[in-house]
This record gives sequence, structure tokens and C-alpha cells, in this order.
Amino acid sequence: MKNALLFLPIALAVMLAGCNLEKEVDIKLPETQERIVVECYLEPGAPINLLLTRSSGYFDPIPEDNLAFLNQTLVNGATVVIRSETGESYTLDNNLVFNQFTKKIFNYSSHLVAPIERGKTYSLEITLENGDLITASTSILPVVPIDSVVVEFNDTDTLARVLTYLTDRPNEDNYYRRMIQHSSLDTIPDQDFTTDDRFVEDVIVFGTPYDYGRGDTVINTIFHIEKAYFDFLESVQLAIASNGNPFAQPSPIISNVQGPNAMGIFTGLSYDRVVSFLPD
Amino acid sequence: MIRFLALVCCISLPLWSQAQDFFTISGKVQDQENGEVLIGATVFSPANALGATTNDYGFYSLSLPPGDSVLIEYSFIGFQTREIRLQLDKNIHLDVELSSGVQLDEVTVKANSFQDQLRSTEMSVDVLTTKEVKAIPALLGETDILKTIQLKPGIPSGSEGTTGLFVRGGASDQNLIELDEALVYNPNHLFGFFSTFNTDAVKDLKLFKGGFPAQYGGRLSSVIDVKLKEGNSKHLAGSGGIGLISSRLTLEGPIKKDDASFIVSGRRTYVDIFTRAINRAQADNPDYNPIPDYFFYDLNTKINFKAGEKDRIFLSGYFGRDVFGFDGDFFNFDFDWGNSTGTVRWNHEFSPKIFSNTTFTYSDYQYNIQNALTGFRFNLGSNIRDANFKSDFYYAASNRHTFQFGLQLTHHDFTVGRLRAGSTDGVVSFSSGQNFSGWEWGAYISDEWTIIPRLKVNAGLRLSGFYTGQTSYWGLEPRFASSLSLSDRWSLKASYARMNQYLHLVANAGVTLPTDIWYPSTANVKPQHSDQVAAGFSHLLGGQYFLTIEGYYKKLYNQLEFVDAAQLFVNDDLEQEFAVGKGRGYGLEISIEKKEGNLSGWIGYTLAFTERGEFRTLDPNGKFAQTGYFSPIYDRRHDISVVAIYDISRRLSATATFVYGSGDLRWLPVSRWTFQDVYGGSLQPVVPDYRERNNYRLPPFHRLDLGLVWRFFPKWGESDLTLSVINAYDRRNTFFLYFEPSFRKLVMGDIVIEVPDRIAARQVSLFPILPSITWNFKF
Repeated sequence: MKNALLFLPIALAVMLAGCNLEKEVDIKLPETQERIVVECYLEPGAPINLLLTRSSGYFDPIPEDNLAFLNQTLVNGATVVIRSETGESYTLDNNLVFNQFTKKIFNYSSHLVAPIERGKTYSLEITLENGDLITASTSILPVVPIDSVVVEFNDTDTLARVLTYLTDRPNEDNYYRRMIQHSSLDTIPDQDFTTDDRFVEDVIVFGTPYDYGRGDTVINTIFHIEKAYFDFLESVQLAIASNGNPFAQPSPIISNVQGPNAMGIFTGLSYDRVVSFLPD
Repeated sequence: MIRFLALVCCISLPLWSQAQDFFTISGKVQDQENGEVLIGATVFSPANALGATTNDYGFYSLSLPPGDSVLIEYSFIGFQTREIRLQLDKNIHLDVELSSGVQLDEVTVKANSFQDQLRSTEMSVDVLTTKEVKAIPALLGETDILKTIQLKPGIPSGSEGTTGLFVRGGASDQNLIELDEALVYNPNHLFGFFSTFNTDAVKDLKLFKGGFPAQYGGRLSSVIDVKLKEGNSKHLAGSGGIGLISSRLTLEGPIKKDDASFIVSGRRTYVDIFTRAINRAQADNPDYNPIPDYFFYDLNTKINFKAGEKDRIFLSGYFGRDVFGFDGDFFNFDFDWGNSTGTVRWNHEFSPKIFSNTTFTYSDYQYNIQNALTGFRFNLGSNIRDANFKSDFYYAASNRHTFQFGLQLTHHDFTVGRLRAGSTDGVVSFSSGQNFSGWEWGAYISDEWTIIPRLKVNAGLRLSGFYTGQTSYWGLEPRFASSLSLSDRWSLKASYARMNQYLHLVANAGVTLPTDIWYPSTANVKPQHSDQVAAGFSHLLGGQYFLTIEGYYKKLYNQLEFVDAAQLFVNDDLEQEFAVGKGRGYGLEISIEKKEGNLSGWIGYTLAFTERGEFRTLDPNGKFAQTGYFSPIYDRRHDISVVAIYDISRRLSATATFVYGSGDLRWLPVSRWTFQDVYGGSLQPVVPDYRERNNYRLPPFHRLDLGLVWRFFPKWGESDLTLSVINAYDRRNTFFLYFEPSFRKLVMGDIVIEVPDRIAARQVSLFPILPSITWNFKF
């Protein structure tokens, strides 16, 4: 349905482009203060990593040199501590880490794999060089397992659709992020969206169009997410989508970190992932 | 309320007894050429210095002392004044026909038209006739009464090309738009480029921005009353036109001469015929992207007949649809929306002094989107249906008091966000939607009281309410308007109105879309209400120019905005996306108008300030980051419009309109940041950071439109070629802005990430210089 509504501005843009009614303009936006952006995901059995960056004025010049770009973007020199509800604390080191496997960058990380446990609450405390304090907390939710992944080939075609079944946890408000990818997790997801369980009785089915061919690898991931993470992801999507769509309402980022001029997300990751190989 | 009624009775009783010495002349004033009733025509007795004007149904009632040869003048702008002498020794029923054509006493007529405006308690009112509308240049030659009214001061439109109306700081849902007394929920075709009103079928449009008479209720900011023609009761007539994008045809005529008539009017756009042909011709081209189909059509019909000396019945209907479709190999899409309305109206003269209008109306607005994508389909729609009963009484108790009273009852039936979606075989399936219903009611009384000939007051009270089945709301709406004539050339006016509104439009501020949802007041969503005061003066300059200056201040309560990151679609609990706050608007409107002579038109200027604030979310977990007051995107500081119509000869007229407005506001991001996301998620190198709402003012908007009407007078009737040039100096006004980042690769060992390289701001405009030609005819 969102596709359908996006269709209107696209159709309009195509019409207008044909009339040469577009031009580049100079815009002077209101002055603004930079914001500190936190991105940290806790996952049982994985090292703790955190990315601390700063926002830039929308049209601020972007350094051509990569090192200068990183220096402008990354916020270093902060003290970052994660605490568990039982009092253990883990201080992250300020090192730039390039994870070859996930292709992600972090500037704060722990040496050891911290014992993150499901069902427990963790808090984050960041003290910046200027003394500003940024805090956040999160609970690690249980995994909602994928019940089954069903691959169905079209009768008349060689293409298949993939149906993903899971059972919603009863008597509670649940939020999910559904991701499906071809071949590898490094590819851009075919579907990546968040949903809540308000319209669901018990079994949730996610489906795809008939897009997958024989021999394909399909990776299904269902994240069970907190409401704060759901709100954050939705607000990020709306903020991105409203650029250029005159019919959309922009959204500020709904963040779960507190502190002067701070925003971002601190959340646990609880997901089930099923890799399916389509028969040749 | 009881005190008020008692007061009205006390005031009026002595007047009834006084009126016993008088006799009453009553009836209708009509156009001799086609039998259409004339609204606002003047009936005047010079000897007694007493007069009356015809009401919205052409009815007048004038009480005068007896006399052997009492002279009565009937006049109306653009018509010959008619003088009739009567022996007044009893009540007289007299229907009078006026003829247009050469003015015998042009000066008198001109003065009268403005004198009526000077003396009337009505203020903050704009009236447009189809004649004016047809003279003004129109987009692609499609004359549009709703677009033209936006050229009047105090009524800025939404974005360029749209018909969203933001009257005196009000939102786009606060306009009561009635077509022959039936409510029209969405007055737009093609996302607001054109309105649903076919100019050929419309008689006139009256827009109240303030000083609302008590018979109107249900919206806060304006009343737009569109009256359809009744149909020529003298002879068969037709009119129509062939334009660049549409054709239209109207037929009207007597069913029984002077007693019954009909009018049928339709139009349809035909761009789709060409686009389909292009698509067919390119069917074999694999690189060709088909052009979506689009067309709209509407049909107006009306029949009226005399059901006796004192009764007349009217049946009218409107049906219009926009159809937008795309049919591709893997994806198809159908989107249609439209209104239908039906009206049954009964006019009855109980006595020479009492006239009633009783109306049953039905209104329906719906949209439906169907979308199919290999193996998946969805169907989304919303619908609002109203059945309405209304009875209005007009009682000319004396020449000093005219009472109006009546009641209204409406049943609303809403289907909000009905969605059926899933795979075609039903394995994946979900649905949502809510149904609501409610009763809206109102009762009112008002008195137009001539305290002394120079001082008139219109005081009224409306009691209105809404009942959902669980929750009930009601409110009193006092109305007051007064006019003090200082001389034949000067008058002062002041008004106050409280309005209640029980329905809310769930829409992005500033953009009117067919998918906007009407939502009723509920236990949590309280009715909107407003208080508006306005004061001003009018001055007749040199007998030809009419100057009006008005200031207003308006406060709005229980205004809805969306929370941050609101989920507007597929949401069975929309209320949690609402934030409720207040609004205020104040400003000054200046207009100078010339109606007669070779050169006519007006110049309007508006200085306006509009703010909204103090928003609180209905959902305790909801977020509304904006604190304090902020300007809505339609907070237009300066607005200028100039309309000039110059009749060069009987055959040739030239027209020009110029509009200038301060730029509207937009909510733009002030900074950007990078979102890395989890393993598997996509890096977003540029995420806009939106903070204060509506923080950027677009460049000023201005545009000159030119028109030339070349008339022909063949034996069978009249025709003209209308040439329009929209945006004559090819100004690129901003429709919307967007930011276009370009990226580069940042390589660190094996890791390659995308980082922003440059961000460009781009402006999209809607119209270049757009010439068009239309051929119009009537017979």
C-alpha cells in the first residue's frame, strides 16, 4: 500500500521532469547546533560496539579527504560505560573498529564478549569530553522464533514466493522488524520493515511476490524489537521518505537516548534467522 | 437559551401589532430571460424610504402603509430597474421579472449595488457570479469558481495549483462547502488542480469568512454556498465548450413554461483518450513506460416545478468521479474518488411574511485504491455518507425585524481506512478499518433588526450538538453582526461569531489529498470550536469604487495535528496519532472593487498572521517535539491580488490577473546524520534531522495570467473563443523542494562504505507559461 501512495509523487515527478520545471537552488537553512548520535546494539554472545558520531548542518561542506571526513563525523574522547541491572559495568575502549564480517564501523568497543542475557535491563552512560552526560537503557527481549519458511513455486513459472510464519507472543504488545535478503546479508534487503501485532490474532505470515528463482539463497530474519526501537526506525524511515515527497509529513527522530543535544538508539537485538536454499 | 428566546419574543411582539396597519407585498424576483430567481435583488419604496432584498430563494416581503398609487422599484445589478405602481389596500403577491440588457439608468443601478453592500449587516462576504468567473483566465481554459474566489482577499490557497482553502488562518477542513445545500466533502478534481463545480451549472457562489449567519454551522472558518441554476423556464437553451483537456455541455429548458424546468450539465476530460493511443502505439517498445490513465467527469442535474401558488419543489443531484489507473505487466493500480450529492427541496410561502425552505440532502464521498503486484493485491478505501434534514423559516415580521429560524439534523456514517490486503490466494492476509456513526444537530434563531435606518443588527444564536452513541457534545454559538451607515458613502461594521465543528480531517497540513480521512468527534477527540471578531468599514469612492477594510482576530480550540512519526495508514487506532492544541489568526484585509463600466475588477491585499501551539498528545506515549506556538505552512504574511476585466468592445474583452504572496512555509531538515544500522540493514549516509516545524519560508509566489475573450453573435446564439495565458512571464514558483545527495565510496581496507559527497537543493515548479484556447457557445 505504501508503494501505491509513493506512486503519486513519482508520477508527478515524471510529468514535471518532462516540462523542465526543476532547477537547483540555493537554500539558507536556519542555524542549528550539532547533535551527538549514538548507535549501540546489545546482542547476547557478541562483543559490545558503539558508534558515536555528530550531525552536520545539512549543507555543511563535506571534506574530500576520507580521514578528515571521519574526524569531522566521529566523536572521540568520550567515556562509555554499559551497566547491567545487577551492577556489572563494562567500559568500552575508544578504538576505531572496522568489522570485516559485518562491514560495520564502530569507534567504541569492548575487548571481551560481555555476558548480555535475555530478560535483563542494561543502561548506557556516555560522558563526553565537555562533561555532557548521555544516558539510555534497554531490555533484551526474548527471541520470537520463525515457525517455518515455505517456498512455493508458481504453477506456470519457475519463480517462487517465500512465506515466513511465526507465532505472535500472546497477551502483550509486540513489535517486529522483518528483513529478507537474496544471497547474503551484505545485500540490500528485498524487504525491510517494522510492524506491530495490533492486527494479528496469533500467527503472522509475511510473504513475498514470485521473485525468487531456482538455486537462490533466501535469508529470512525476524527481529523482536522494543517499542522504542520500533519508533526510532519508523521515524528514520519517515524522515528519509519525506525528502522530495510533497504529500508526506516529515518526522523528527524519535530517539531513546537522553542528554543535551543527543539522539540515537540503544537497544538489544533478539532475532531468529532462517536461511533457505531454493532447489535447482 | 430560554432567556434569549424570551428576549426575542419581547422585542418582536410589539412589532407584530405595529405591522397590522401595513400591507405586505411579497413574491419572487426573477430574470425575465430565463426565469432564474435573483438573489439579493432590491425592492424599494422611495416614498416610504423602506426596502427589502430577496433572500437566497428569490423571495421578498415588504410591508408598507396603504396608498392609492404606491411606487415600488425592483432593481438588481446588471438588470434594468423596474418601477411598478400598486394600489395598496390589501396584501399583494407579486412575482416580478427583470430584464438584463441596456441600462436605462446605469448610475442608479451602480449606486444601488454598492449601497446595498454598504447598508447590509453582512460583512466578510465575497460573492462571485459565473459571469465574473468566465471572464477570468483559467488554467488550461477550465474556468473554476473555487479558484477564482481565491483571488479575493483573506482566502489564500494551499500550494500552487491546489484548491485547498485556508480562510483567515483556518485549516483546510474548516470550510463548509455546500452545493445546493448538500455538503461536499472533497471539492477537488486532480488532487486540487480543478474544483468539482462545473461553472456552466453554477448560478453563484457566496463565501463567508466571518460574521457567519446563525443558519450556518458545522465548520469554523468559512461557508461556501454554491447554488446551481434552476434551469431556463422560458425556452430550451444550451451552453458548452470545447477546451484543451475537457468538453462540457449544458441543456436547460422548460418542462412546462414558467412552471417547471430542468437543467442537465456534464463535463469530462479527455486527456486519457490521447494517452491511451500513445500507449497502444508504443505497446511493442520494451523500453517504454506507459503513461497512467487519468480522467474526471461530473454531472449536475436539477428539476424544479411549481406545486401550487405557494409551493415549489426542487430536485437536484451531483455525481463526479476522478479515475486514475495504471496497468503494467507486473503492477497495476486503480484509484478513484468522488462525491455524489442529492437534494430534495421544498419552498413554501405560509403567508406574505413567512417563507420556508425544507431540504433533504444526501452526500457521499469515497475513495478506493486497488493495487495488484504479481501475487499480491490490496484494496484501501474510506467513505463518508451523510443524510441530512433541514428546515429554515424566514419571517419578515416587519420592515424592522426579519427573523430566521430553523433546525437541522444530520446522520453521518464513516468508514475510515478500510483495508484488505494480502496474497491473491489468501494465504497472506490482513485487514483493518473502523466504522463510526453519529448524529449532528443544530437549531438556530436570528433577527435582522433595523434599529434606526442607519443602524442594523443581526443577532442570532445557534445551538448545536453531536451524538456518537456513547458520547454527546453540545455547544451554544452566539452570532452578532452590525452595520452603521455614517453617510451614503461610509459605513462601519463589526461582527462576532462562535462556531463548533464536530468533524475533523485527518490530513497533512497544507496538502489536500483524496485519501485524507474525515474523522468524527469521539470520547477522546473533542469538537473544534472558534471565536472570531471582525471590524471594518466600507467607503464608496466617487460612486464607482468600493473600498472595504476589515480586521479580524480568531481563536481556534481543539485543533488536531499529527504526532511525530505518525502512522496514518493501516491504523485502527488513529487517535493515538493525534495531538490537540490551539490556533490563532489575525490580520487585515483591504479591497477596492469596481463593478460597472468598461473596466471592472478588484485589488485585494491581506496582511495575516497565523499560529498553532500548545499541543498535547492524546496517547500518553505519543511524541510531539514542537513546543510553544509555530506557524502552519499556510501562514502567508502578504497576499495581493489584482483582477482587471476590460471590455474593449461588445465583441472583445481583455482580462488580467496578478497574484503575489509571501512564500508558504515548509518543514525542512536543519542537519543530517549517518545511520549505520544493524548487520543486514542498509547504511543510510544521509538521514535528515527535522526539528522545529515549518522552519523555512519559500520564496515569494507571483504570477500574471492574461486572457482574451472574442465573442461572436451567430443567428443561433452566442459563442466565443477564450484565449488564456497562465503564468505570462514564465515565473518558476516553488511547488516543492527536495534535497539530492550524491555519494562517494570511502574505502578502509576491505570495507567500502558510502559517504555523502555533495548535497544539492532542487526546486520543482508546476506551471511554465501555459497558453490555452477554449471555444464556448450558448444558444
